[in-house]
Amino acid sequence: MNSTSGNGIDPSGPTRNTTARKPPPTAARRLAELFANYGLIFVFVVVLIVFSALRPATFLSSGNIGNLLTSQSVTALLAFAVMLPLSTGRFDLSVGYHVGMAQVLVIGLQVNAGLSWPVAAALVILIGLAIGLVNGILVTRFKIDSFIATMGMGSLLYGVSNWYTGGQQIAGFDLPDGFSNLSQVIGYVPLPAVYVAAVAIILWIVLERLPVGRSLYVIGSNARAAELSGLRTGRYVSGAFAASGILCAIAGVLLASILRSGTPSVGAEYLLPAFAGSLLGATSIRPGRVNVGGTVLAILILAFSFSGVQQLGAPFYVEYFFNGGILIVAVALSVYAAIRRRKAAVKAAS
Amino acid sequence: MTKRFFGALALDAASFELMPGEIHALIGENGAGKSTFIKILAGVYQADGGEIVLDGEIVDPALQALPLAFVHQDLALVDDLSVGENIALVAGYPRRGGLIDWAAVMRQAERLYSVMDIEPPDPERLVVTLSLPEKAILGIVRSLAGKPRALVLDEPTAALPEADAQRLFDAIRRLRETGTSIIYVSHRLNELFGLADRVTVFRDGRRVHTTAIVDTRPERLIEQMLGRSVASVEIARAATSRQAPVLTVEGLFVDGRGPLSFDASPGEVLGLVGLRGGGQEAAGRAIFGALAAEAGRVVLNGRELSRFDGVGERIKAGIVLLAGDRMRESTFPGMTLAENLYPNPLLVSRGPWDLRTPASERALVEQRLEQFDVRPRDPASLIDWLSGGNQQKVCIARWLEARAQVVILEEPTAGVDIGAKLSIHQMLRKAAGMGAAVIVVSSDLEEVAAVCDRALVIDRGRVASEIAGQGLTIDALIAGSSLGERRATSGAAARDSAHNMDSV
Repeated sequence: MNSTSGNGIDPSGPTRNTTARKPPPTAARRLAELFANYGLIFVFVVVLIVFSALRPATFLSSGNIGNLLTSQSVTALLAFAVMLPLSTGRFDLSVGYHVGMAQVLVIGLQVNAGLSWPVAAALVILIGLAIGLVNGILVTRFKIDSFIATMGMGSLLYGVSNWYTGGQQIAGFDLPDGFSNLSQVIGYVPLPAVYVAAVAIILWIVLERLPVGRSLYVIGSNARAAELSGLRTGRYVSGAFAASGILCAIAGVLLASILRSGTPSVGAEYLLPAFAGSLLGATSIRPGRVNVGGTVLAILILAFSFSGVQQLGAPFYVEYFFNGGILIVAVALSVYAAIRRRKAAVKAAS
Repeated sequence: MTKRFFGALALDAASFELMPGEIHALIGENGAGKSTFIKILAGVYQADGGEIVLDGEIVDPALQALPLAFVHQDLALVDDLSVGENIALVAGYPRRGGLIDWAAVMRQAERLYSVMDIEPPDPERLVVTLSLPEKAILGIVRSLAGKPRALVLDEPTAALPEADAQRLFDAIRRLRETGTSIIYVSHRLNELFGLADRVTVFRDGRRVHTTAIVDTRPERLIEQMLGRSVASVEIARAATSRQAPVLTVEGLFVDGRGPLSFDASPGEVLGLVGLRGGGQEAAGRAIFGALAAEAGRVVLNGRELSRFDGVGERIKAGIVLLAGDRMRESTFPGMTLAENLYPNPLLVSRGPWDLRTPASERALVEQRLEQFDVRPRDPASLIDWLSGGNQQKVCIARWLEARAQVVILEEPTAGVDIGAKLSIHQMLRKAAGMGAAVIVVSSDLEEVAAVCDRALVIDRGRVASEIAGQGLTIDALIAGSSLGERRATSGAAARDSAHNMDSV
């Protein structure tokens, strides 16, 4: 690939052939590169145009948009919860049951235990942190594969939800206004969307601008080499799981505020869309790695396109085809994109 | 027999005969064609010319497996399975009514041990509980399952301590009594005497010489391996007076091997060489904190480092290590050159929550890529897109950048082209020139002879000999690592004279 003639012998001395080897990128290549990095934005715009043309009256109505942003806020938070362990190459399969348990608990602590809503919410978030830490310790200390450890943890949490509720829904008849208002719409803006935006900004700074983020991605790329670079990989991985636990708990509190009840059977259905969003997000903005911007875009695309299909009269079960299909296509796309980019780079270098 | 690789002759009309019931040693430098020859026998490669004659008939190993068994150095035993099952993996699982007959699995193990007249270990024991020589013997025993007429042993003693090697030799001799022939590949010349019947020397893909072992001497074999008399080539090397050591290692035991004692001074490039499994790599890792040492002291600038230090503490103290396996332990695939240069951001920032600006990092990275002559110079390029040599330059730049006092590099130029190799050697000399003690752990003796001021030959975790100054030649290194213990005495003498030089 690399001819020896191009290598300067003296690393410090003047080197031949210092001009860039890459030929100036053609317009077509530049466009292709642009699409690789920002493809999801194009897709999102196309989704918006197509469905608003087909259902001009309802699709882009403020009511529909508000509903989508509110209902997808939980999915978005869970996609972030999945994304953090994924950045270190670990899976957190407990997020679905975790959000379900947090949702049941935050209602139950108010209705059954009579706690005020901020105390109940704080308690649930603390428990979320603890659950995340246990996940992290199982994976790093006890060297249990993250897939197995978090799958087991998920089932444990589902057990807790059903044990706590006896399998019955906890009705939240007289929940305080403050709690219900967590998910209200102010003007045209649903508050849940604001929370998601705030979390997204914080996570973006952490992953893209803080040394912590670099460390997480580095561990995800090659954990052994990261350790030999002096990183305490166990701490970072545990930290990612702990943050994931906190995000699950926050999502649970939000979900309870939206539903105004605690239902133990709710939660599991969020797992797949969360992974679909996070992995589809890895195809864009920072292709090849899970990232905040891509994840937000992916969730928006999933939500709006599914809503559009629904408005065209598709039956309810299409949602499952949708999420499953997107998950597989997203991963296939990212693998294909990586191969393409590698080929292009090798071609440019030779 | 002839074998070409991409037009280069790896084996050039080499020939080899094996008699029934003999132990025939096969020796030669790295690249002499030994392993190519063995792989042709195994049917892995096809010969481009020549023929293999078995009992007077021409055979082709690619079409029909020869009645040969191969035991590689790493044995390929499964630690968590029993002795019996490890044998069954090769010999097959006896069945009764379609189901595995476990009693017969264990009986089969005992039967194969009895072929060699060796007291078998309990076949139910897990392999992980066996001692090193027991494992080596098991590796041979299970290769007997196919009733081979000849056995190829590839450096069976590389990881064995001297005393344990004798048990293996006894087993090999017993095997010879049964009429089985043995091709014995080794770098340890001394052990051939008293074990082998005949010895064949390969050099540059040709057979140089075959002789009865009683008719030769180790020194003679080395000359034949090198193709010239020992120490006929001298590299001019300025004898520099060494400064006071920055790193002192005393009585270091790693993986049960040792004790290792040596020191390294600022401004010198020190080579650690030895046979595979000699312990030089483990020693480097123990000094870096990536492997736990069982005993011994590591002293940096007169301060003893804690035995419980991990990699992070050692890096902070000023000891860094470039791992030899680039793909598995050095590079971060799918990540940019910037990220590969600074994978541990804590080394360049004030803490894990210290906001960094990509723009300033980009400028810094560009400067480094220029300085270390990495192509392409684009910090946003992924490491995967670079050639092996350029990837290695990035990894080396990572550690030389850390301004460490002790830089340990494992196989710094493995798998890179010659241009990058020379460039990397310059970097090492330059780092030493700036006051670091550079330790090169390498199996490339040519490299050690070219770039190092001083070399230690490590055998079984100890310094077998020390070669410095004018005497540091490929020949001296080969002689040192092949003769092992024999040179230990003169090595001690050399070390004494080095110390005398310091005190003058």
